[in-house]
Amino acid sequence: MFRTGSRRRQDTGPAAEALRLVKVTRTYGTDDSAVTALDGVTLSLDRGTFTAVMGPSGSGKSTLLQCAAGLDRPDSGIVRVDGTELTGGGEAELTRFRRGRVGFVFQQYNLLETLTVAQNTVLPLKLAGRKVDRRRAEEVLTSVGLGDRLGHRPDQLSGGQRQRVAIARALVTDPRVIFADEPTGALDTRSARDVLRLLQEAVRVHGRTVVMVTHDPVAASYADSVVFLADGRLAGRMDAPTPDAVAERLAHLGDDVTAGV
Amino acid sequence: MLAMRSIGQRPGRFLATLLAAFLGAGIIMTFNSLYDTAGRPGVDPVSSDTLTTSASVVGGYGTLLVFFAVASTLTVNVRQRAGELELLRCSGATPGQIRRMVVGEAVAVALIGAVLAIGPAMLGGQALLDAFQDSGQVAGSVDHSFGPVALLSGVDITLVAAAGAAFLAVRRATRTRRPRGRARTFLAYAALGLGAVSATSTFAFSATDEALMATPAYGAILLSVGFALLAPRLLKGVLDRLPLTGSSGWLAVRNLRRRADHLSGILMSLILFTAVSVATLYMQGVESDAMRASGAVRTVDAKNLQTLNLTVVGIIVVFVCVMLVNSLYAATTYRRREFGQQRLAGATPGQVLGTVGVEGLVLTAVGLCFGTVAALAGIIPFTVVRSDSVLPHQGLGIWLAVASIAAAATIGTGLVTARRVLRAPAVEAVGSAA
Repeated sequence: MFRTGSRRRQDTGPAAEALRLVKVTRTYGTDDSAVTALDGVTLSLDRGTFTAVMGPSGSGKSTLLQCAAGLDRPDSGIVRVDGTELTGGGEAELTRFRRGRVGFVFQQYNLLETLTVAQNTVLPLKLAGRKVDRRRAEEVLTSVGLGDRLGHRPDQLSGGQRQRVAIARALVTDPRVIFADEPTGALDTRSARDVLRLLQEAVRVHGRTVVMVTHDPVAASYADSVVFLADGRLAGRMDAPTPDAVAERLAHLGDDVTAGV
Repeated sequence: MLAMRSIGQRPGRFLATLLAAFLGAGIIMTFNSLYDTAGRPGVDPVSSDTLTTSASVVGGYGTLLVFFAVASTLTVNVRQRAGELELLRCSGATPGQIRRMVVGEAVAVALIGAVLAIGPAMLGGQALLDAFQDSGQVAGSVDHSFGPVALLSGVDITLVAAAGAAFLAVRRATRTRRPRGRARTFLAYAALGLGAVSATSTFAFSATDEALMATPAYGAILLSVGFALLAPRLLKGVLDRLPLTGSSGWLAVRNLRRRADHLSGILMSLILFTAVSVATLYMQGVESDAMRASGAVRTVDAKNLQTLNLTVVGIIVVFVCVMLVNSLYAATTYRRREFGQQRLAGATPGQVLGTVGVEGLVLTAVGLCFGTVAALAGIIPFTVVRSDSVLPHQGLGIWLAVASIAAAATIGTGLVTARRVLRAPAVEAVGSAA
């Protein structure tokens, strides 16, 4: 299954704080049409936690994920993944920063159509120039229930199966943090449950850190805690969430904001 | 109606088709205007002969090229719109309506291209006539004429090519996937067989026969058409034997193998380009050497042949190059999402470009290889019959020039386009289905 695999670590052990954002601000557009997607967000997530980020559309949750994952650069503020600060630099530099530190699971899977399940899974290792351990890749794929689909191509799989390949791909590099952007957004309830259980297992059994953006209270209830976001600012936090409590809180998130203005 | 609105909304998408139609119609009209010129009253028989021969030879090539070029751009266009067509079908459009829309669009764009080409074709025809007059092949008193033959043939051929290609492309796109047709394989082997026969029959001629060059030239062209039709299979065969390592090479081989069918158009252009230019240039070289050796004075016919050969090669080089760049540009732009996915999986922009570069290199090598084989099949019989040696004495210079043009066009277009595509952030590239 997903061992922590200390032999693959190039640096010293993982930091206790998996992710830290300090006063992160991100604005899109210029002047009059400028939109502040993130407005001074400060957030700290411990290693081995499963956190859901929730908020209404346009609350900045996707921007938060992209800034935290090194896909986008904040205008100001500090982003630290596993104790290493994300600094400026070109795309190539950001890519090297992400390798080995973060893994991704997207709503639209983003598997390469030209590659088989097994090839898609080892792609990040190939690209990073790391040694490809096929046995381990097969182990991971078996653990997500796809041990018999190694030679299939993404277009021969169901949505749920594709998402499980994406999870295997995110796990195989032993990342410090796995970022999931609406991972169940395109799935039926059954497949969604499988995917959420896999993410949960990655945290509880294998001690990984998962950050998941979602708008679904049921999906969020699989997490250890939920962070709420409204208009680019943090709007509260809930530990041990239940679907009803999350839905209730979400429903009134808007009220607080309008009341505040 | 749907067709016109569809074009009006996104003119950029039809640029490739428009360019193909414009160039194709231009070439056909330029050469067919020589028929009009020859048909004018008071043109002497020698001039008239020169003009009609040129028109028939190049006109034939041109027609073939236009069909090929328009078809390949339209196929790419329709394939890239599979999503849109699917959406139309889901919102209640019958297959017939979709087919009418796509064919209508193609015809409208082809018509615009052909009309735009009239002006340049008039100038081109005039320039061509001047060239013939300067070399003394056509009497100086002959005036250029752009008449009904040029106009009708140019417009008709372009429109028929566009409509036919669009019809086939949309039929293929709206039908569920099925194995590659047997007709294509049959055609491919027929072309290879005829090509081989044509090339071998060169030996039946004597060294001084006027038509000596015709059979090996057609042999080479037919062979290259055969190879071109088999292109996806040839490419897969080569890829299976390619030990490429490194992440870019690894990815490139897998991409090419999966997309072999889609890449056949590009490979086709490369094979035709190589075969036609290499065969014609070397045979012309051998012919000129043999003439010089025998000390014979060049007849008008010999001069005609040389002018013709060089013109044909020039046109084919330009045309196929444009088509190659055209379809590669379209194909690479379409890979925006795929490149984004590679980047999200941890590829640096350099690695993405590396993959595109390796793909271009493999394509060029395969195209050059089979194009050269086809060309040699024509060159060797011709050289054996016309001179005493087996291989021409022209050296590798011409081949190297052809090879570098092919490589520059293929690899250059791929890399430049990919660089532009990579400017968008990866997340954005993955999100939009453009």
